[in-house]
Amino acid sequence: MMIWDDIFLEVDFWINIVSIALIVIGIYGIVFSQHLLRMVFGLGLLEAGVNILLVKAGYQKEAIAPIVTQASDTMMSNILAATAQMVDPVPQAMVLTAIVIAAGVQALALSLVIRIYKKYGTLDSHVLFLAMERDRHLSLNQKD
Amino acid sequence: MQRWTTILFLTGLSIVLFAIITPLVLGQSPMLVGKLINASAVNDTGAANLVTAVVLAYRGLDTLGELAILFTAATAIGIILGTTDKTQTTSSPTAGFIVATAAKVLFPLLLVFALYIILHGHLTPGGGFQGGAVLAAAFFLLTLADSGNNIKHKVTQVIEALAGTAFIVLGLVSFALQGVFLQPWLDKGELGSLFSAGSLPLLYLALGLKVGAELANLLSSLANVEK
Amino acid sequence: MQDSLILLVVLPLLLAFLLPVIARYLGNLSGLTGSLLLLFNILLLANAWNSVGYSPKVILLGGFAAPLGIVFYIDKLNMLFAILTTIIALLLWPCRTHNTDVREYVLWLLLLAGCYGVILSGDLFNIYVFYELLAVASYGLVTLPATGASYIAGFRYLMISALGSAFALLGIALIYSFTGSVNIAHLAQIIPDHLHHIWGYSAALLLIIGFGVKAELFPVNFWVAEVYSHADKRVTALLAGVVSKIAVLIILRFIILLFPWQDIFNFLLLLGIIGVIVGEFAAFYAQDLLRLLAFSSIAQSGLVIIAFACATEAGIMAGIALAIHHLLLKPALFLLASHCDRSINDLAGLAKSSPWASALFVILALSLLGVPPLPGFWAKLLLLQSLMAEQYLLLLVLVLLATIVEAAYLFRLFMLFYQRQEMPEQKRITIQGQELYPVITLSGILLLGLFFLPLFMDSLREIAMQTSNIEAYINTVLGKVQHIGEGNI
Repeated sequence: MMIWDDIFLEVDFWINIVSIALIVIGIYGIVFSQHLLRMVFGLGLLEAGVNILLVKAGYQKEAIAPIVTQASDTMMSNILAATAQMVDPVPQAMVLTAIVIAAGVQALALSLVIRIYKKYGTLDSHVLFLAMERDRHLSLNQKD
Repeated sequence: MQRWTTILFLTGLSIVLFAIITPLVLGQSPMLVGKLINASAVNDTGAANLVTAVVLAYRGLDTLGELAILFTAATAIGIILGTTDKTQTTSSPTAGFIVATAAKVLFPLLLVFALYIILHGHLTPGGGFQGGAVLAAAFFLLTLADSGNNIKHKVTQVIEALAGTAFIVLGLVSFALQGVFLQPWLDKGELGSLFSAGSLPLLYLALGLKVGAELANLLSSLANVEK
Repeated sequence: MQDSLILLVVLPLLLAFLLPVIARYLGNLSGLTGSLLLLFNILLLANAWNSVGYSPKVILLGGFAAPLGIVFYIDKLNMLFAILTTIIALLLWPCRTHNTDVREYVLWLLLLAGCYGVILSGDLFNIYVFYELLAVASYGLVTLPATGASYIAGFRYLMISALGSAFALLGIALIYSFTGSVNIAHLAQIIPDHLHHIWGYSAALLLIIGFGVKAELFPVNFWVAEVYSHADKRVTALLAGVVSKIAVLIILRFIILLFPWQDIFNFLLLLGIIGVIVGEFAAFYAQDLLRLLAFSSIAQSGLVIIAFACATEAGIMAGIALAIHHLLLKPALFLLASHCDRSINDLAGLAKSSPWASALFVILALSLLGVPPLPGFWAKLLLLQSLMAEQYLLLLVLVLLATIVEAAYLFRLFMLFYQRQEMPEQKRITIQGQELYPVITLSGILLLGLFFLPLFMDSLREIAMQTSNIEAYINTVLGKVQHIGEGNI
């Protein structure tokens, strides 16, 4: 029992659980959902889960945020001593990039959802798939 | 039946993911590049915020690419939703006196806050993206409170074009001077002061304006779909 | 000299940012600026081609040494793909004199910038960013026809592509957690030895599936037929010809440099052969020309993947030859087919109403099939040779069987074209001469290549040698700063 207590108190464990839950729910939303809007939400959750994992990669135990705060300290050696204890700034920058990309893609998906709803009046993916095939069929046989 | 296969698939997926992810113990990543960057960033860029140094100097091209992606998304949304500069929208009423007044009070505060975040990006947490998002929120707040206050697409378009061009031109100047694209230039100044870190604050300013215009554009396109 | 190649990426972005504003003053000329830019890019590449010579070069972005900053890696393979991309884009450039939304040009420019970035970049995360740029621009372009069906196809494409990107990002996150680096040359030192276990494999699978979406790799390619049949013909031609090959190029770099493990090769061989078989059979049952070409494009991508997954120099050479052949040929076929967008049986007697177009189609399709002495034959021969050399006999038989299926549906098509019966008057298709110019140019390049075959083979061999030389890649990018902190893992 002691081992389990330790694991449940570990932050690491909960970060993993949260990110896995987000990823799995997101994949469920994209793959199994029939509703277009839920697919977009699923995409958001999936990307959030992946981003958590990415930013987690930069964390160091007992390290500080990657910002030099002793600005008055002009001794370069002191600054270097401070920066040596900082967390990895690269994943933070990468996650910043990934978040902005995800925001753009999701906005684009939402605008497509709006257009599709205005055209067909439904957001059921099965109905829409059939409608797409029917449109294709019509355009093939009507082009005279 | 289908429900059970779904549940089975998702359970399997969770277990696989758990097995892959668990060995990534928090706080024990090797940090090969991170250590090198931590050791040399202050010398190389003069920025107190090392994340800014990474975003704008070490991985500046990523930032340019991400700017371009946001621009692409805004352009594509413009095409898909058919943006038009409508002078009046009659259909949606204003949100009421209290909200409208609060928006007007908040608007200048938000502008100042956004500019603060952008301009101090190389010193404190924050920067162009965060500040740009606040900037867009400020303008969008006005639209939300009073739908007559549309964000002018022509204006945002010009800002967006100029800011994007400024970012690239700042990179091209260093290309012309030193033969390297997006190398930090200008004097590094004193670490921790507002006018330091060379060209990085200028890059962040361009970035912030671009992101702000872009997001404002994007939000207003989504909000004003032709009825 | 090679430092100026960064302009390949930067100038399209600059023009794309500026174009919405300056289009008001340029009017109809705004389309021309893009063509001029592409011409300039060709000059730039031609200029740099000689200076690259035999040894690859590296561009340090921001002037930071390799594992710290982003690098562009420039060797002959990358240059070749960049040149071909530029040529195809120039031929497909939507330069109509009137009635074109300037935003269409903007999306094209952004797509091209993404293509160049993906081709040249030597940094895992940077490749991801430019791949996303390319993807987002293609979502916009796919929905340009503004029909309901194109929106639905675009949405499905966006969803599968975004799912793939998320997988790729997860793969990058895994790799970064284990190694602490995203520079490909740096990773090429670390991953093959230190990550040769289940986590290395999972990262490899995630990255391959993620980038496989655009490469029309087997499990994630259902978007292909829908998108190609609903999108604008030029966009289709670009996606099928160029973008899918660029994605395959990334996968090639991954399996050579990062994951050179036999299990990964076997996995790719499996995906490739399933792709070939599924693609050819789906094409056999396809009801219209565009879908037929879309499915055959899946099969061709599968062939390229098989060749690369042999992971020998001969295999890489065969894969590059197949990729280049397909890259030049498929846009031409799609441009021709877009004029005959109707069910196959209504195409009977096409040769009567437009003889030149159908003759071109037949020649190109024969090359696709691999009939000697057309260029496609030599490419396929290289593939079969490399499969023989590796003793993949079952694969060889399967590839030949797929070719027979391909022959069946293509010859059925030719028979229909050259049937005696006239097309009904109101359904007649006549393809104008000026619409054929890009097609003629592309076929001309292909057939001209035939005369320089020995020369071409030699340079292909050289490129394949350069590509499979891992040491050269690492040494070029990292220079003297080698083996950084390798002991930590």
